[in-house]
Amino acid sequence: MAEAEILTASGARKKSGAIAAIARVLGVIGRYPTGAIGLTLILLFAVIAVIGPAVAPFGPFEATQNELGRVARLLPPSGSNLLGTTTQGIDVFSQLLWGTRVALIVGVISAIGSVILGTLIGLVSGYFGGWVDEVLMRVTDVAFGIPFLPFALVVISIAGPSLPLVILLVTLFLWRTTSRVIRAQVLTLKTRPFIWAARAAGASEFGILFIHIAPNVLPLSFLYMAIGVQGGVMLEAALSFLGFGDPNVISWGGMLNHAFRAGAMRTAWWWVVPPGLALSLFVISVFMVTRAYEELLNPRLREM
Amino acid sequence: MALLELDDLSIEYRTAAGAARAVDGVSITIDEGEYLGLVGESGCGKSTIAKAILGILPPNGAVTKGQIRYRGRDLTRLSLAELNRVRWRQIALVPQSAMNGFDPVYTIEQQINEAIETHMKWSAAEKQSRIAELFRLVGMEQSRLKDYPHQFSGGMRQRAMIAMAMVLDPNLVVADEPTTGLDVIVQDQILHRIKEIHIRLKKAMLLITHDMAVVAENCDRIAVMYAGRIVEYGAHDVFERPFHPYTMGLCNAFPDLADEGRELISIPKAPPSLLDLPTGCRFAERCPFATDLCRKLEPALVSVGDGHVAACHHVARAAEFRDSARHVRTWQAGPATA
Amino acid sequence: MHGLRAYLLRRLILLLFVVVSVLTILFVLFKLLPGNPLSVFIDSNYSDEMVQRQKRLWGLDDPLWLQYVRYMWNMLTFDFGTSFFQMTPVSGIVIEKLLHTGAMIVPAVVLSVVLGALLGSWLGWRRGSRQEGAVVVGLLALRSVPSFFVGILVLMVFSYQLGWFPPGGMVSIGGHQESFWETILTLDFLGHLILPCLVLMTREITSPALLLRSTMLEVKGSDFLDILRAKGLSERRIRVHATRNALLPLVTDIAVMMGFLFQGQVLLEIIFAWPGVGRELVSALNDLDYPVAQACFFVMALIILVFNFIADVLYGFIDPRVAYD
Ligand SMILES: Nc1ncnc2c1ncn2[C@@H]1O[C@H](COP(=O)(O)OP(=O)(O)OP(=O)(O)O)[C@@H](O)[C@H]1O
Ligand code: SF4
Ligand SMILES: [Mg+2]
Repeated sequence: MAEAEILTASGARKKSGAIAAIARVLGVIGRYPTGAIGLTLILLFAVIAVIGPAVAPFGPFEATQNELGRVARLLPPSGSNLLGTTTQGIDVFSQLLWGTRVALIVGVISAIGSVILGTLIGLVSGYFGGWVDEVLMRVTDVAFGIPFLPFALVVISIAGPSLPLVILLVTLFLWRTTSRVIRAQVLTLKTRPFIWAARAAGASEFGILFIHIAPNVLPLSFLYMAIGVQGGVMLEAALSFLGFGDPNVISWGGMLNHAFRAGAMRTAWWWVVPPGLALSLFVISVFMVTRAYEELLNPRLREM
Repeated sequence: MALLELDDLSIEYRTAAGAARAVDGVSITIDEGEYLGLVGESGCGKSTIAKAILGILPPNGAVTKGQIRYRGRDLTRLSLAELNRVRWRQIALVPQSAMNGFDPVYTIEQQINEAIETHMKWSAAEKQSRIAELFRLVGMEQSRLKDYPHQFSGGMRQRAMIAMAMVLDPNLVVADEPTTGLDVIVQDQILHRIKEIHIRLKKAMLLITHDMAVVAENCDRIAVMYAGRIVEYGAHDVFERPFHPYTMGLCNAFPDLADEGRELISIPKAPPSLLDLPTGCRFAERCPFATDLCRKLEPALVSVGDGHVAACHHVARAAEFRDSARHVRTWQAGPATA
Repeated sequence: MHGLRAYLLRRLILLLFVVVSVLTILFVLFKLLPGNPLSVFIDSNYSDEMVQRQKRLWGLDDPLWLQYVRYMWNMLTFDFGTSFFQMTPVSGIVIEKLLHTGAMIVPAVVLSVVLGALLGSWLGWRRGSRQEGAVVVGLLALRSVPSFFVGILVLMVFSYQLGWFPPGGMVSIGGHQESFWETILTLDFLGHLILPCLVLMTREITSPALLLRSTMLEVKGSDFLDILRAKGLSERRIRVHATRNALLPLVTDIAVMMGFLFQGQVLLEIIFAWPGVGRELVSALNDLDYPVAQACFFVMALIILVFNFIADVLYGFIDPRVAYD
């Protein structure tokens, strides 16, 4: 983990603000070929998430009609319906654009939430030790004992499906790993001379924790945030695919759910393949970025 | 009679940047019952020699020239089966990294037994009593036999390794920096044990170290190595009256060998890269006495006394060099420009 | 050994603590259920009195603490009550579904571990070569591809388009034999198993492969192998040492994988209409069959916990370096 500090040294010492630090990190990631491809793809997805709904030819639940004014069901891809239509005549391409927004909203919000939660717990647990650590780590153990998908299904079937609930559940699932990793990192940082020096200089406990230790675990937190975006998008897709997503919005997983239930696997590949492909592509591009970032954090990976 | 002869031995490593000749035309002999010390700075090729003797060079390393003769048989030409009969039974190794020399998932006893079983048909009782005897010899408690390597301290692992090396009563033990990483007191203890074993059992030893003082204290003869070559070779004369400026420098670096009140001087700069060796004397870059001749022509080993050879163009001026080599400023001034 | 016993005890206590916590969370969740959990089968023309009787029957009239204690006791003794829907004991249903899930997971894990380990040691061997780099990146990428989409694609192509395999299910209609064990020995079952098993493997093979690759590299570079050679050991003996060292972490990996899969393949069970415990959970939730849902959830959680526990303990047994502190 010593390597992580190399990055921190550039990331944290210069006091030019978080945005600049992130920009710098992204710049470095972009120098790896995988990182560059991944970043480009993610950027593309982000752009689609933002402007997609505006440029989508149809609404997410709007039935396309043919010249006769009938609902145009299961049309194969064509000029007017780039990716064809569903059994209800909904334009698949439009749904795909709308779905990107939902996927990214869930991924990003839950990743941020879980990393904040996990980092805080890891920091406090690792730094203060003792009973605080004991309690927090037992809570983490319990969280690890809960199988996510079944748990989420149960909760959703009780509380009713909604996007905020999905986000909350995904967040609750993602924080556990982050907190353990951060805690381990804090434990090693705690024994470093610069912490002793800070203490000798009269820094308060919270001062040490948030001024001296926290900046050093941030690179790791970022890594888990990226991984979290990936996990969040996947989990949302899984829940929606199982029919436990928010019925009022459309997501990639929701599209697959509708397609699966309508038997489109037999009849309408254009309905099944695009959402699955978008999901896979997104997940892989995040993987490429995290891989490059990991290499950056831990140069030994390259040799291994 | 010569037990082991390295005859014009060259060893190369294939690297991305080309072949690195880590050992270049080395000839040394070890007689039965002799204690030979091999000294030199880090990276000069000492471990490479040790590994070559036991045939455990890494996949990218190979003997490219010369012979390693054990009782007249060239080990580099033996089949694996033949070599395996010589290994450990005749020549054992205490590796530089004894810390990691044991397989972590077997007990010490299992691993020593494995060495025995590979070569001998001893009964369980024989094995047990032999191991007990050796543990006494290296000063370890019997009760630790069933322990796993990680339960041992560094010093204990080293002793256990020495015990394992001695278990088949080999004729030659190659000890590659057997005390690296240990604290000074343990180092002394272990070197004492080795010396004791050497004297009591009259076994030949090849002790590899970078510590001139250790060699001076323990060995019968000394070979000084620099950048893959032997630069000086002989008996105690080597550090009492060194002829090669590098040996002089090495002696300076160790307090035990220095006269009272003399400063500790280390040789500035680092040895040349094996991938980019100078044309002349390999030491010229760091030698305070280097001349134009030195930089043009590589010196050969010449006899400077009874069984004492040195590879320097200016052995005739050795007495003068020895005098000035005692002063820090000689070394600090850098190589002579004349 | 004393340390080991204390460690085991501590791990067991922790296991129990987590199990009880998870159960408590589950209890609270089901208490939060909107409306009446009996609403499924309480007809609107039931009289109030009949409703009360039903409630008493299911123990819903008792004070909360008593319900909690009874629930806890029942769960810990695997007495899950009666299915609202099928009116049979839940434990019987759950056991059957677990067996079905196991019938998909166990072959997939075994094959993944064997093939993954072989692939991993090959990768460790070919370290640094171009193929190795490509395969490693491929494996890492494979690990991040959502396997349920792979499942959908595979089903689309090999079952619907090409017709090589049945379109889901565990056996053909009428294919169930007298017992579970007889059923899984039929060719019909095998035909149904292949696709989901392969899809599971695409994902599960990555972990043992990457793991064995890195442990192999570590072992190959370790000094003790040199000493084994210097000792004059045969190549075969040396390989035994190397493999034993490299395989250690795999044991833990297998246990973790097993535990994880029992909950992680809900999606595949749905896609392949595999009558396992995950699919049962989904349909129980859709049918509002709460006793079954509860039990499915509980056994899934329990299996993960128990396998993780096994992994921890097992690792200590086979690797002498693990210190129980
Ligand atoms: N596997 C290898 N591949 C390439 N070069 C190697 C390899 N092993 C050793 N070398 C190089 O060969 C030279 C001699 O190495 P060797 O290990 O024999 O040195 P040494 O004298 O034992 O040094 P030390 O005192 O550090 O143990 C060094 O320059 C080293 O970098
Ligand atoms: S040959 Fe010249 S450079 Fe080499 S050691 Fe002798 S004096 Fe120094
Ligand atoms: Mg060495």
